[in-house]
Amino acid sequence: MTKRLKASERRATILAVAKVLFSDKGYHGVSVDEIATRLGVSPAILYRHFPSKEVLYEAVLNEIACKRESYVGVVVDSDGSFDDVLRKITRIYIDSVSRDPDYLRMELHSALEGSDATRQFFENRWKPFTDYIEFSLGEMLARKSIAPVEPRVAALAFQGMLREALYAKCIYRSSRYVDMPLPELCELLVDMFLQSIGYGATPCVDTTDATARSD
Amino acid sequence: MLNADLEVDARGLNCPLPILRAKKGINSLASGQVMKVVATDPGSVKDLEVFCRQTGNEMLETSQHDGEYHFNIRKG
Repeated sequence: MTKRLKASERRATILAVAKVLFSDKGYHGVSVDEIATRLGVSPAILYRHFPSKEVLYEAVLNEIACKRESYVGVVVDSDGSFDDVLRKITRIYIDSVSRDPDYLRMELHSALEGSDATRQFFENRWKPFTDYIEFSLGEMLARKSIAPVEPRVAALAFQGMLREALYAKCIYRSSRYVDMPLPELCELLVDMFLQSIGYGATPCVDTTDATARSD
Repeated sequence: MLNADLEVDARGLNCPLPILRAKKGINSLASGQVMKVVATDPGSVKDLEVFCRQTGNEMLETSQHDGEYHFNIRKG
C-alpha cells in the first residue's frame, strides 16, 4: 500500500528525485513521465505541485543554490567595500553549491544541451558576480583607482576561475588541490583577482611579489 | 506622497548593487528620515523587503510605474 504523504513531504520527495535525474541526464534527458514513474505516482500528481518541467527544474536549482535573501544578508553585513562584498558573495555561493555537486552537474549538462531556458537559469545565478564586478570596476576606472582593465573581461575571468575551482574540487576531485579546502582555494583566487586588477586594499596572502596599485 | 530626505537611484542595477546603494544611503540619514529608492530590477522588491527586515528600517510604501520600482524607507 502506498503511504499518503503530506503536500510538503510530497513536494520534497519530488524535488529530491528530480534533482538526481536532472543531474544524471540533464533537462532534456528527463521527461515528466520518467520522474513520475520513479516516484511511483501519476504525472497528474506531479503537475499538481509543479505546473511544468521548467518550473520543477528551477525549483530544484532554488533548493540547492543560495537564495537572493542570502546575498542581501551578506551585503548588509559587509563594510561596503568592493573586496569585502566580493569575498562575501563568493563565500556564500561556493558554500551553497559545494554542499550539493548535483547543481554543478546540472550546470554542465545545461552547457552541453544548449537550451536557452536552462542557460538562462544558470546565467542568472552568475549575474550577482558578473554585474557587480563589471559595474564596480567601471566606477573605479572612472575614478582611476584601479589599473586599466576591461570590466566585462574581468567579470568573465572571475566567473571562469571560480567555476573551474568548483569543478576541480567538487566534480573532478582533483588530487592536485587535495591539500586546499575549497574556501581557502577560492579566497586565494579572489586575492589573485584583486591583485590582477590593481585593487590595492587587499593584503597579499601569498609570498609572490604583488604590485597592487591604488591611487 | 511622502517627501524623501534622500533619493537613491538604483536604475539599471542588479543584485547586489541596489542593496549596496540602499545601505550607503540609509547610513547617511538620521533616525526617522526617509530614503526613496528607485530601481528597475524586479528582484529588488523582495531584496529591499529583506533589507528592511534585516536592518530594522521600515518600508513605508512601494509602487511601480513604467517598469520602475519606487520604495520609501524610513530609517529605524
